[in-house]
Amino acid sequence: MINKKLILFFAFIIILILLPFVISGYWLRVLTQTFLFGAIATGSNIIIGFTGYPAFGNIAFFGVGAYVTGVLTTKYNMPFFATLPFCALSGIIISSLLGIPILRLKGHYFAIATVGVMETIKELVDNMTELTGGGLGLTLPIMHGEPEYIYKFFYFVMLGVMLFSLLILFIVSKIKQGYALRAIRVDEDAASVMGINTPLYKTFAWAVSAALVGITGGVYAYWLSYIDPHTVFGGTYPVKMFAMILLGGGTTVIGPMLGAFILELISEIVWSKFIAIHGMVLGLLIIFIILFLPKGIFETFKGGFSFKKLFSNLRENRL
Amino acid sequence: MILQILVNGILLGGFYALIGVGFSLVWGVTNIINLAHGAIALLGSYITYYMFQNLHIDPFITLPVSFIVLYIFGYLVQRYLMNMVVKAQIFMLLILTFGMEIFLVNFMTTFFSADFRSVTPDYAGKSIEIAGVVVPYIRLAVFAICMIVTAIMGFFLEKTWTGKAIRATSLDLEAAMMTGISPRKIYSITFALGSALAGLSGSLLSLTQAFSPNIAGGLTLRAFIVAILGGLGRVEGAFLGGLLLGVIETVSSFYIGESYKNAIAFGLMVFMLIVKPSGLLGRKYYAEVKH
Repeated sequence: MINKKLILFFAFIIILILLPFVISGYWLRVLTQTFLFGAIATGSNIIIGFTGYPAFGNIAFFGVGAYVTGVLTTKYNMPFFATLPFCALSGIIISSLLGIPILRLKGHYFAIATVGVMETIKELVDNMTELTGGGLGLTLPIMHGEPEYIYKFFYFVMLGVMLFSLLILFIVSKIKQGYALRAIRVDEDAASVMGINTPLYKTFAWAVSAALVGITGGVYAYWLSYIDPHTVFGGTYPVKMFAMILLGGGTTVIGPMLGAFILELISEIVWSKFIAIHGMVLGLLIIFIILFLPKGIFETFKGGFSFKKLFSNLRENRL
Repeated sequence: MILQILVNGILLGGFYALIGVGFSLVWGVTNIINLAHGAIALLGSYITYYMFQNLHIDPFITLPVSFIVLYIFGYLVQRYLMNMVVKAQIFMLLILTFGMEIFLVNFMTTFFSADFRSVTPDYAGKSIEIAGVVVPYIRLAVFAICMIVTAIMGFFLEKTWTGKAIRATSLDLEAAMMTGISPRKIYSITFALGSALAGLSGSLLSLTQAFSPNIAGGLTLRAFIVAILGGLGRVEGAFLGGLLLGVIETVSSFYIGESYKNAIAFGLMVFMLIVKPSGLLGRKYYAEVKH
């Protein structure tokens, strides 16, 4: 059973690696965007799905990563790949410092505090005009080469980032520390009684997650070559990320990535056909996921697809 | 000068108190963080705007209309949508309301356009001057209405049977059910009241500033900060939190700079969450962290 899944997974990866030689232009961009969301959802899942802390504002680290790459490439003429470790580092530093006070909060309060952090960092970036360009945004140096080559370059870099995040998530799910995180999710007090240093493990989970999301932000900045505070901090990113994790199932390793593929590809198809009502459809889709698939698509349809399961999900959480 | 700033802050604070009361009530009683609160408030703004623009009805007369329409809207949303998932993990509800927010904002953008609108009756520019402090009539009226409605809300929760049932549900759901209170109904009424108060504050907002669907998020976040500052589910808390936020925002944007206004408000909120998560007036049993 496990082997079958593994074979399917590697077949999927090989198809993704071979695809750029068949498709081009538009679909390369769409898939790169999908990998971006896959990386964000996978990275954030360490704190959200595994540890059970709804870090709604985790996109803050995406923005920080984007600006670290942006500032380092424009102001200090650093090569792109050299900036990525700094993206990860900035995420780790910020999340560790903030983690000490904020991770004491639970549930709603934690979710809100992370939103507060996100908005505060956004305002700060917006106001540091000399370094970040403020509300005008920051234009990064454009990569040299043929457009087709650049498309392929970012396709593979983003795929690499997503697979790297997936690998880290897989490792975390297997090591002892990963089990500690799950113990915290199920019952934090019990975990603490068992001798798990919960503040340390929670901070560790958040730092790893922040580093991965930060790297994704760095690649995003270089890919689009233009960033401004209002797009990289917030927008619809947090809710899309959450919907992807929920759709795929937050307790699984591969779920968030598959959730990203489903949601982003649906969204792309809707976007290209009905541009005016795209936002409304996205809203309805999220409401639908929460109502009918709160445990994720794979957990719900483990033994095959049926409409009955959708409605039993609906009945389960009713007041 | 400082007096004028303080007065402006308090007048703004009255509005914040009203938008915070509904939000805080819903959060405290049903444990739902309604991220669509700002979007619902804007529905109220558009009701006032269209009634004023097309039917030439005085904006203050439209207030009951937006209250009633959004009461019904809120009741239906809670009864047939939110009650379905109320027992799920907390962030399910958070995402659900965010989904609603995205839907409503895009709905308004599509059908009412993203342009900035404002309601300007004939008496819009008139103001009164007391001891060198300029107070526009409209802002004064808005402030008075906000205070009166907040006070009525407090009275309703303290004295009426429904109000007592709402408070009982917020304190202990199981115990409330044992005394014969139907949580399904109380949750619906609470959410309906929250939406109605949001709609009312939205209608008042349209009188004091220009609005577009895009400011929904900002409104929600203000309501949020008010609820955190004051303590959840308590009318006095929202009242105090609203005034505090209004004054702090006005003073800081004067002395530190308009652009840092949000950062300061959020910093204040995060600080409050860390120091005293139950809010200034938060008491034991009032909206403790529920899982």
